[in-house]
Amino acid sequence: MSSTPSAEGPAVTRDLLDNPLTGEERKLLDAYRLLRELAREAPTPCVAANVRAALAPIAVAVTDLGLSFEHLLDDGC
Amino acid sequence: MTVAAPYWNPKTECMPREQLRALQLAKLRAVTEWAQARSPFYRRSFAAARFSADQLRTLDDIQRIPFLTREQWMHSQDERPPYGELPVAGREVAIRLHTTSGTSGSTPLRALDSRKDWAWAAEMWAYALWGIGVRATDIGYVAFGYGSFIGFWGLHYGLEKVGALTIPGGAQTTAARVRQIVDFGATVVATTPTYAMRMAQEAEALGIDLPGSAVSRLVLSGEPAGSIVETKTLIERQWGAKAFDTAGMTEVSTIFMFEPENQPGGCHIIEDHFIEEVIDPQTGDRLGYGERGERVCTSFGRSMIPLLRYRTADLVVRQPAAAAGNGRTWDLYEGGIVGRADDMKLVRGTNVYPGAIEAILRTHDGIEEFQIRIERRGARDEVVLQVEPHPRFDDAAWTALAEALVVELAEAHEGLLFILERAATGALPRFELKAKRLSDLRPAGAHTTVRA
Repeated sequence: MSSTPSAEGPAVTRDLLDNPLTGEERKLLDAYRLLRELAREAPTPCVAANVRAALAPIAVAVTDLGLSFEHLLDDGC
Repeated sequence: MTVAAPYWNPKTECMPREQLRALQLAKLRAVTEWAQARSPFYRRSFAAARFSADQLRTLDDIQRIPFLTREQWMHSQDERPPYGELPVAGREVAIRLHTTSGTSGSTPLRALDSRKDWAWAAEMWAYALWGIGVRATDIGYVAFGYGSFIGFWGLHYGLEKVGALTIPGGAQTTAARVRQIVDFGATVVATTPTYAMRMAQEAEALGIDLPGSAVSRLVLSGEPAGSIVETKTLIERQWGAKAFDTAGMTEVSTIFMFEPENQPGGCHIIEDHFIEEVIDPQTGDRLGYGERGERVCTSFGRSMIPLLRYRTADLVVRQPAAAAGNGRTWDLYEGGIVGRADDMKLVRGTNVYPGAIEAILRTHDGIEEFQIRIERRGARDEVVLQVEPHPRFDDAAWTALAEALVVELAEAHEGLLFILERAATGALPRFELKAKRLSDLRPAGAHTTVRA
């Protein structure tokens, strides 16, 4: 699969109902994990603010699809 | 486009119910663990109920979680102002603060939300707007004052999210709003049912033909609408547009149900983001399909304030998803919110409910506004109904209306006689948000409020 292991651990390959991810879902989770990493790295204010602003709706999308369910307050979202 | 893509999120809107329940259980475990780990309020509440998040093995185990009440929330705010101990993080993490409208109590609830919480609030409105049939080609007008009341803020972002051109009505006169709706070619108008009627009155006074305008859909929220068919029918006639019911609350931060485009007589519960239970308000026991009771809400959307088994005081009747006939597997609330447990009054042994009175009034043309006053006169309780008729009503027309209303109201209230008063044109209050039409002026302790 295309998901790349990250600081958060090995790539997720199944959703909350233990179904295998589709290609679109894997890409969405990749984007979500990448944005989370960027949000945690505390880059310059303009990057941090915009990454967080991008992360919030992506988090909603992964929740909508039942791929992941997290609260994100610790990431500033 | 409506036929090709009827669902905002087909994966969960059409998910088999056993899978939906499994998804709810996974989310319930996560949000309960989150609340237990982060919220001093929930830690105490769980400990008092001898409950722990690890006891959630099936969805029915949700009944082990203690109820959360509005009184507890307010008490927590009073004890630890300004936000109490429900929030799991400090205000520095939040990006928004909203309050309740204060119609059910003197102290508004204060609700903090994070950036993701607001992205979710807009998403719930996007589910609704899409289900109603709103698309990127629409022009949405938000007839709302944009104050600290949470109201239509989420709808505003939901309209933007589905790609509609969004027009914030903001602080303007009703006449100015009506003119903008027509001038900008709005196709969708979001408002409370009461204010929809107010704008229609204003349009008539201005000589504006609302049914001839581009408006095809009205998104109603903030008050019962779907449950009062007569009111909804009147609004649809005044505007020449279909009216769709939705409902939300500050405690949730957004909406939890919406009436879909095929209008099956009820509202879908957004079940992948909420667990809704219906209970007997007296015993707390869970009720089944078709039984009228109090709705209890558990939300998966909020991070700042986990909402577990919140007693809403809304009265609902749940029906299975198949009743909707539109492919969604989400259950319905038949007729939306059918009343408020705390709105029902006992007068000389008879239940008096504002929605039932309104339903009778709306069958008559030419009633501009009304107020219900319950008062003690001597040893008797009386219900006084102030009615403001259209200015065209002469004395004979008013007398005929009043006589008809007295009979109809008595028939609907076990013979209880209402006192009818005619209010002068423009004398009764108009409302933009939630209307307040019921006043109980009886001395404290001289009457009983029935919860259901």
